[in-house]
Amino acid sequence: MSTEDPDFAKKIVTCLDRGAESVKAGAAYRLQLARQAALARLADPQRTAESQLASAHAGTGSGAMGGGRSFWASGRLWLGIAIIVAAGFGFQQWQAYQQLHDLEETDAAILSSDLPIDAYLDRGFQNWLKRASDED
Amino acid sequence: MARDARTDPQLATLQEISAFLAEVERRAFKQAMFAVRDEDSALDVVQDAMLKLTEKYSGKPAAELPMLFQRILQNTIHDHFRRRKVRLTWTTVLSSLGKGDEKDEDFDPLETLPAKSDSNVAADPAAQFEQVQIVSIVEEALSRLPARQREAFLLRYWEELDVAETAAAMGCSEGSVKTHCSRAVHALAAMLKAKGVSL
Repeated sequence: MSTEDPDFAKKIVTCLDRGAESVKAGAAYRLQLARQAALARLADPQRTAESQLASAHAGTGSGAMGGGRSFWASGRLWLGIAIIVAAGFGFQQWQAYQQLHDLEETDAAILSSDLPIDAYLDRGFQNWLKRASDED
Repeated sequence: MARDARTDPQLATLQEISAFLAEVERRAFKQAMFAVRDEDSALDVVQDAMLKLTEKYSGKPAAELPMLFQRILQNTIHDHFRRRKVRLTWTTVLSSLGKGDEKDEDFDPLETLPAKSDSNVAADPAAQFEQVQIVSIVEEALSRLPARQREAFLLRYWEELDVAETAAAMGCSEGSVKTHCSRAVHALAAMLKAKGVSL
């Protein structure tokens, strides 16, 4: 059958050509409008230049998405980076605040205690405490 | 700097692009119809492909336009199916959360049927009508082929791309193109034989 393939394919293609010729008027009109819209975009040199410039900046993307979309895609990228950086900075600030808060609480507890602060450093006082607790 | 595609003699002129699109638009529409089986969606696919061609690839030589356009068209069809899959997933999830009793009330099976390409030929003579019937059967058989086989067949034989160009447009090897084409021809022959159609 392989030797007959081209002939058979040609006959199929002939049928397909007839089918394409008999596209409904409404569809043909919409195709014409679509073509005109595409060509109008091409005929606008400023827009074409912008889209080409945008595609050049975007690198070798697989899909042709349009110039405007490249801009917004880039905008979203930078917005995402900004949010991540802001979140990291905020987390660092929160950690520093927590450390300061813990130190403040420790300092306040020591300062508000009835014992003078030197007592915590006095080895004799600690020995007296230990002896007193042993006697009890 | 962006090149001015209209002043470079090697690049396609506006007239060449216009003529190319005018020549290919109906075949592109039919190709999209075979794949998506919905006239509105097929028209959207062709329009997207045309816009992408003119926006991104107009700065190419005229000789490269057919292969580029076919690649864009196939990618746009694939994008259509991807979007539809996502949309169907969400629709299924949301509808399952909604009222189950009313789920099938808005469903009209007639809306899922492909539009007949011969719906405006009722006034044609009998011989033409028979020809249209054959065309319709061939198109139906083609639309039932596996997507890759249909792509390969249409690009290779209808768009008359060579094997290398077809492989580039489909993103596969030349051997795969030959295999897909051979299988498509055999499958079409079998389907038409089953319908009693001889070309």
